[in-house]
Amino acid sequence: MIQIYNVFKSYQKDSAALEGISVKIPKGDFVYITGPSGAGKSTLLKLLYGAEKPNRGQILVNGQNITRMRSARIPILRRCLGIVFQDFKLLTRRTVFENVSFPLEIQGRKRYEISKKVYQALKTVGLEHKLNRRPLELSGGEQQRVAIARALVVEPLVLIADEPTGNLDPQVTLEIMELFKGANARGSTVLIATHDREMIRRFPRRVISLDGGRLVGDRTPETFSVPRG
Amino acid sequence: MFGSLIYAARRSVRNMRQSPFLCGAAVGTVAVSLSILALFAILALNVQELTRHWSEEIQVTVYMDVPPQEEALGEWIEKIEGYPEVEKVSYVSRGEAFDRFRERLSEDADLLEGLEPDILPASLGIGLKENFRNRAGAETLIEKLRENPSFSDFRYGQEWLERFETFADMLQMIVTVLGGFLLFATLFIVSNTIKLTLYARREELEVMALVGGTPLFIKTPFLLEGALQGTLGGLMALAGAFVFFELFLLEGLAALPFFSGLYGIIFLPGSHQLLLVLSGTTLGLFGSFISLRKFVRI
Repeated sequence: MIQIYNVFKSYQKDSAALEGISVKIPKGDFVYITGPSGAGKSTLLKLLYGAEKPNRGQILVNGQNITRMRSARIPILRRCLGIVFQDFKLLTRRTVFENVSFPLEIQGRKRYEISKKVYQALKTVGLEHKLNRRPLELSGGEQQRVAIARALVVEPLVLIADEPTGNLDPQVTLEIMELFKGANARGSTVLIATHDREMIRRFPRRVISLDGGRLVGDRTPETFSVPRG
Repeated sequence: MFGSLIYAARRSVRNMRQSPFLCGAAVGTVAVSLSILALFAILALNVQELTRHWSEEIQVTVYMDVPPQEEALGEWIEKIEGYPEVEKVSYVSRGEAFDRFRERLSEDADLLEGLEPDILPASLGIGLKENFRNRAGAETLIEKLRENPSFSDFRYGQEWLERFETFADMLQMIVTVLGGFLLFATLFIVSNTIKLTLYARREELEVMALVGGTPLFIKTPFLLEGALQGTLGGLMALAGAFVFFELFLLEGLAALPFFSGLYGIIFLPGSHQLLLVLSGTTLGLFGSFISLRKFVRI
């Protein structure tokens, strides 16, 4: 599903955000990207959804080389991705329903289809009874569930989450992780950037470790880390 | 395509309803800026109308030593009326010239007692068309009139015309400079207000891009919104200028001695009104376009 070959990214001349990263993530995988602050986790995710371009290397998502993709094609790529952020990035003036329906409106889906899918997505995250509320009327956990519903509503091939539980308490974190597990069970490849070791311990999955922009570990629950570079 | 436009229009209206303060700020700024421009245009138009009114006084007078025969006079008038510079020709006989002179002297008219009416020459008063009411127009016409040997002298109030032309040129310059300055200020204020309203909604633009919105899909509702707000602002400016004109300018300007020669103070003509509203539309559209280029990045 995702192939990353020898990717370099730097924002300033003398400091690299990512150095020679090569990773393969098969379809249906569930992967944590972990590491301390400044390790390059968010940068790697940004490269995957086309918000940044690498200085060197190649990235393939669902068979498409996004490093060579014209910027006009990036929105099309994003329509098969679901993206979740630590700060939710919800439209505060829109209702929950409008927020979740937005990706489908962009795809030009019919109204009845939108209503059906949005209701289903909200039901999946347990917020079908709050569809007329505005995000700021909800708790942090509920807002994150709205953001996840917005990501799930397009039935994404890849679900990308950048510190999705960073602002949430442990109980809500468990609920959110159950949602990601559910999405993965329905076929989405899931990538979560996090530095929450407790979460990784409770939901053990493949862990890709970054430090200083380098890949320093890649282990599954059954294997031990293989240091690189 | 049509469906996308309808969708974009629906979203524009919804955006405006959801952000009434931002929408009001943009419409208000356009309205105030264009009202000032409209009031300036009303003033400029009326001053121009005044100078046009004054320019009607400009005429070439041709004096004849020997009064013409009626038949010859008819031919001359017909020929002169055929010149492109000429609007109208009127003949003033020696008797009429004497009578006018007497009227002008009024109380001192008795000075003329004992004099014969033929002391004053007969003349032709030639009114010029608006485009030729200047020195060049008068002199071109005089060159043609010189071909007739019966015309002995030509006058066109050279000094007055020079002063008038200087005044008209100065007025034109003031209108151009002030109008240009106002237009630039309006463009600057409106585009910055729209930029601020879009800045307040930059997260919305970011989210749209992240969930797969193409630049065209993201920008179209905002462009429509800008155009709609600009049009609303333009209409409000027109209404505001009209109310101000009716309440203050109409009587205020008419009371000035400067404007007393005019038959009436005029409001913006239909074409200018349309231009004002369309300026609002263009300003809104242009302001949004410039700002969106900055904020919408995929």
